[in-house]
Formats: sequence, structure tokens, C-alpha cells
Amino acid sequence: MAIWIDPEKCNGCYGALQPPCLRMCPGDLIVKDVAANKAYLKYVNDCWDCLPCVKVCPEEAIEFHLSPQFAGKGARLIPHVVKGKDLIEWESIDVFGKRETFEIRTKLIAMALDEKLEGEPQPIDFSI
Amino acid sequence: MKIERKIIDTDILIIGGGTAGCMAAVEAKERYPNLKVTILEKAHIDRSGCLAGGMNAINAYLNKGETAESFTKYVKWDACGLIREDLVSSMAELFEYCVKKVEKWGLPILCDEVGNYQARGRWNIKINGESLKPILAKAARSAGAQVYNWIVTTNLLTDHNRVIGAVGFSLRTGAFYIVHAKATIMATGGASRLYRPNNPGDAAYKTWYCPYNTGAGYAMGIRSGAEMTSFEMRYVALRTKDTIAPTGTIALGVNAPQINAKGEKFMKTRYAEMGGDHSPTPYRTYGPMQEMKEGRGPIYLDTRGLSEKQVYDLKAAYLDMYPSMVLYWTANNINPAKEPIEVQVTEPYIVGGHCQSGYWVDTNRKTTLDGLYAAGDVSGGAPYKFVSGCWSEGVIAARAAGEAIVGAGSKPTLHPLSEEQMAIEEERTYKPLLMMGKIRYPFSPAELEARLQKIMDQYAGGASTGYEMNEELLTLARERLSHLPDALSQLVASDWHQLMKAHEVIDRVDLAQVLVEHLIYRKETRWPSYQTRVDYPKRNDATWLLFVNSRRDRGSDKINMFTRPYKQSV
Repeated sequence: MAIWIDPEKCNGCYGALQPPCLRMCPGDLIVKDVAANKAYLKYVNDCWDCLPCVKVCPEEAIEFHLSPQFAGKGARLIPHVVKGKDLIEWESIDVFGKRETFEIRTKLIAMALDEKLEGEPQPIDFSI
Repeated sequence: MKIERKIIDTDILIIGGGTAGCMAAVEAKERYPNLKVTILEKAHIDRSGCLAGGMNAINAYLNKGETAESFTKYVKWDACGLIREDLVSSMAELFEYCVKKVEKWGLPILCDEVGNYQARGRWNIKINGESLKPILAKAARSAGAQVYNWIVTTNLLTDHNRVIGAVGFSLRTGAFYIVHAKATIMATGGASRLYRPNNPGDAAYKTWYCPYNTGAGYAMGIRSGAEMTSFEMRYVALRTKDTIAPTGTIALGVNAPQINAKGEKFMKTRYAEMGGDHSPTPYRTYGPMQEMKEGRGPIYLDTRGLSEKQVYDLKAAYLDMYPSMVLYWTANNINPAKEPIEVQVTEPYIVGGHCQSGYWVDTNRKTTLDGLYAAGDVSGGAPYKFVSGCWSEGVIAARAAGEAIVGAGSKPTLHPLSEEQMAIEEERTYKPLLMMGKIRYPFSPAELEARLQKIMDQYAGGASTGYEMNEELLTLARERLSHLPDALSQLVASDWHQLMKAHEVIDRVDLAQVLVEHLIYRKETRWPSYQTRVDYPKRNDATWLLFVNSRRDRGSDKINMFTRPYKQSV
């Protein structure tokens, strides 16, 4: 498994049926448990490690982990999207707790918390 | 089961909203604002396909002093003497146009103190391209293209030799989409997961090429009788160990040479006449492959001695494209300044943007089917496209498609499908779902994928045979693959996601059968490692400096092989 959505942190993007993590997965791997109001990675073996889901989560609820085939657990890599500044601040923490940060320019494209289904280019703004 | 039908009439249909597709949509709407442009996208256009994770460089660009001609010469040399020079040079002429456009849309490009783009080698410039895909998607939408997300396109619609649209289904609602179009641009990308992946289990999708690109565009063309070219030029990439991240960031970024277990710079010593560490790309995979085969592995890129700042910059560069590389180093306590970076060879991919497999097109990127254009990784004959070349081809295809609709001469019209045709296509699209529970011995998509990948791996030059092949192995591959179409009739799917996976297998079986015919046909080794024929180990320009092409007959499904001449202009 490459990503894990922390159910404690995931708020389901309120009532969103198509929250950003679900929309931004190129493999259609994330689904939402509507009753529990939580998103989760349904197809755990099919992840590409590409990270759009991690970057777009407004709650930073999605953790990125390498396959156990590649490394032990404990190190972390967290992208903090700095809104209004076109920046991502990456926080890298090694197994000993040593921290390194990277401020990298980007172009942030605004994203609504939900979006109508196919053929409707206008997103629905559920943001509060 | 009652399936909802959605019928869309459009002028230009773009199948695949990726690198080429987004740029084609913008160009079409800017030049022909009155035309309706429709994109069918398998995922969500904001983060679909190859660019989902981002890019840290534009790898096909004419840096100071370079020209379309010098680029074409270089690409020809890199592809071991065989390319469509007309295609490569026409895409190079548009690099500047495309890069400037995307920069205007907000892509951060790294510049030096006087404002020139920062070069990384002859053809590369550095970017902060984490958000390259959402930038392109926004541009396509803003230009007025109608985007349909989560539509899995399953087949082209044809009327004799003319493509009149396409059909597919929605991953979200299951609705059946029928799109009638005056012109169609195929831009679905290449194919991953044809061969057994290097990493098993939970890391099977940790491929270099986007694992969700599964050759749909090739397969649709093959089924419709389009002429295809050069599938035998597979792409086998040299990548970082385990994470399979691109090595150009290290090799070009900090000029790290390849070394073997003994610390020998083997490319310099054994491949000096090819150019050492700057040999043509297939040799930079073949060299380390041979070292490992002969017991001198593991192979590394020698990063020892880098300064702290260089290591920091290297990590920053990977964060824009392959963040897992940085986590891998921290999780395994690797410091590239202290130890060299281990590399490996990937599973083979079919990618027209690195190699040249795909539709046989003219300089307008028109395929051999009327009304169908191909751009990006599905389009053949023009390697070294990478991102910017896919943009160029999107532009060229969009201009040609628009011109065909509004220009002088006979204009294409919409050909609505008859009820009978719709029913046939609908049944084909939903069959795995309809068969659920009705077959005594069903196959899941994952089961047939495993069978396909095993055949390709063991008989058609996968990792298990050291990427090598001969006539006997390939003949067995042909025989084993010939059973798969029957097995596909037992394929079942339980939901929309599984129906997508089912079509991904169907498409790859069609592609694999044609690929094997191409591998059998070329009786020389032109691209060692991509296409190592141990029974014909030498490059043979006297006989084989030509294109191997194929066309599957629409009636008999027989794959006809033939050649097309190479034409030299530079």
C-alpha cells in the first residue's frame, strides 16, 4: 500500500460525493464510504505513488508510505500546500526524526471540494 | 440490465485528455472557435495519465544554438539510424511555440540570472512542473473544450475506412456514451503492464510508465484496421532501483556516470565507440544489462562526492516528479553524496513518445483511417517526443483536424449510428458485466492479465529471459497468445471499475499479438535491449533500414506485416 487515508483526519470533505482525493487519483483507486463519510484506498495494490491525492487533501489526512518491499516504516514525506503563494513546502523526516524542508514553486489550480459528474465542466462549490 | 445512453455530437473528438490531448483541445478552440471540441478522459483530466505526478524538466527543447535539423539528426542517431525525419523535424519546429504557451499558463520554468531558461544538456530545460497536468487541464477547459471525465473509451466507430466517432462507458454512472464526430484525435498514451512487472504484489503498479495507460489507443486502431508501425521498438528503461524513477535527473543533472560493482566506468571502457555515457539511449540500457548478466552488477550512477547543495537540489528536483525517490533515500538512510545510486532495468513498455511505436501517420498526424489523427505516445515514427513533442503533435493534429472540417474541399459530416450498430457496440462494451454469474469457468481481469504478462515475460523478451528473444521463443509467444481471445470471452466484471480493468486486458491482448508479430518480423538487432534478437544479433542496415508496419484485417483479424522505406532528409 502506498497511501493511507487516516480516518481520524478524513472529514469526507463534508458531504462531497466526489472529494478531491477521489477525483485526482489517475487510477480510480480511491472511493468514498458515504455512510461513514470517509474516503479510503480501495485497490491497495494498484497505486502508482504519484501523490496528487496527498497534495489535494485539505485536511492533510493522506499519508504516503513506500511498499514494505522497498523500505521500513517510520520515515515521512509530507507536502504542505501553501495556499495563495504557489508553493509546496515539502517536509522530509528520516527514521531518526531528522527533518529537512524544501520550498518548491508551483502553480496552484483552485479546486472545489466536490464536482458534478461527467460532462459538467462547472464544479459545484461546497466549500464552507 | 437497462443501460442509459448518452449521445454526443461534436466536431472534433479528442480521446484522452493528457499531454497531447489537452494541447490539441486548446489549439483547436483557439484556431476554430466555432467548432465544438469534446474530450473523453478515462480519469479526471486534472491529474490523469503520465503527468499526474509532475515533471522536473522539458526534455525535448532546442537550447541555444540548436535547430530542428540538429535535433532531428540527434534523434536519428539516438534511435540507431531509423526515424521518420519528417515527423521529428515538424514537431521540433513547434517546441518553442508550445513551451512558451505553457509558460504563459503559469508553468514555472527555471531561468538563469539574465532570464534565459536553465539548460540541462542539449535538449532539456528545468521546470518546477509538479502541477503541469492541472495547468494543461485548466487551459483546455478555459479554451472551451467540453470535458467528459471518467469515460473509458472502448472502440472507434467506423464507416468503411472513415472514423466517425467513438463509444465508451462512464466509470461513475455506467452510462453508454456514443460520440459522433467529424474528426477524431487519438491521444490515449502508450501501454504499460503488457509484461510481468519487475515488482510483484503491492508494488506491481510501481512502474515507470503510467500503469493506467494500457494501450487503448493502439488497440482501437488495430481493431479498426489502421496501419501501425515499429511496435518492435519497445522501451526498456534504465531507472533507479525499486522506485523506478527517471535517471536523467541524476545522469544529466549532476553528470553522474554509470559504474559497475567494481567501480568501473563500463560505458566509457566498453561502449566508447558508441559514445560512452552519452551513447544512444538503448545502449545506456543494454550496457548495464550486460554488466549484470556477466556478473558485474549491481550497477550504479556514481553520485559520490556531490556537494550538500547538489544533493539538496537533486532531492528538490525529484519532488517535482518522483517524490518516492526522496522518501526512499530517507527511509533507507541513503545519502547520494556518500554512496552511489543503484539502478535497474524496467519491464518493457510500448511508448511512441520515447520510442516510435504507434499509428503510421502523415506529417499532419493523419492516420491511414479517414477522419482519424494520432498525437503523442500513440503516434508512431517520431521518438524523443517526451512532453513537448506530444504537445507539438497535439497542435499539428488539431490544426489538420480543424482544417479538414472548415477548410476547402469536401467537408466531413456526422454519421449517426443506426440502432443496430449501437446495440452491437453496447453489447461489446458491457459483455464482461453481462456475463457475470452466467459462466461456469469465468476469468477475472486480474487472472487474464497475469496470463498475458507471463506469456510476454517468458516468450517475448521480458525480464525473465534477460529481455532477449529468438524466433522459437517468439513463435511460442504467438501460439500462447492465440488462445487468449477465446479466454477473453470468459472474462467477467463485477462493477464499473472491474469493467475498465476488463477492457484494459482486452486492449492489451490485441496489442500484444501485433507486437509479437513485429518482433518476429524484424530479423536483426537494431535497438539492443529494446529488441535484442539473439538469433540476429547485428544491426543490418542493408536489409532492415526500414519501417516494419502492420495492419489487422477487419474481417479475418489476420495481422498483415509489410515494410515502408526510410527516407533521409537530414
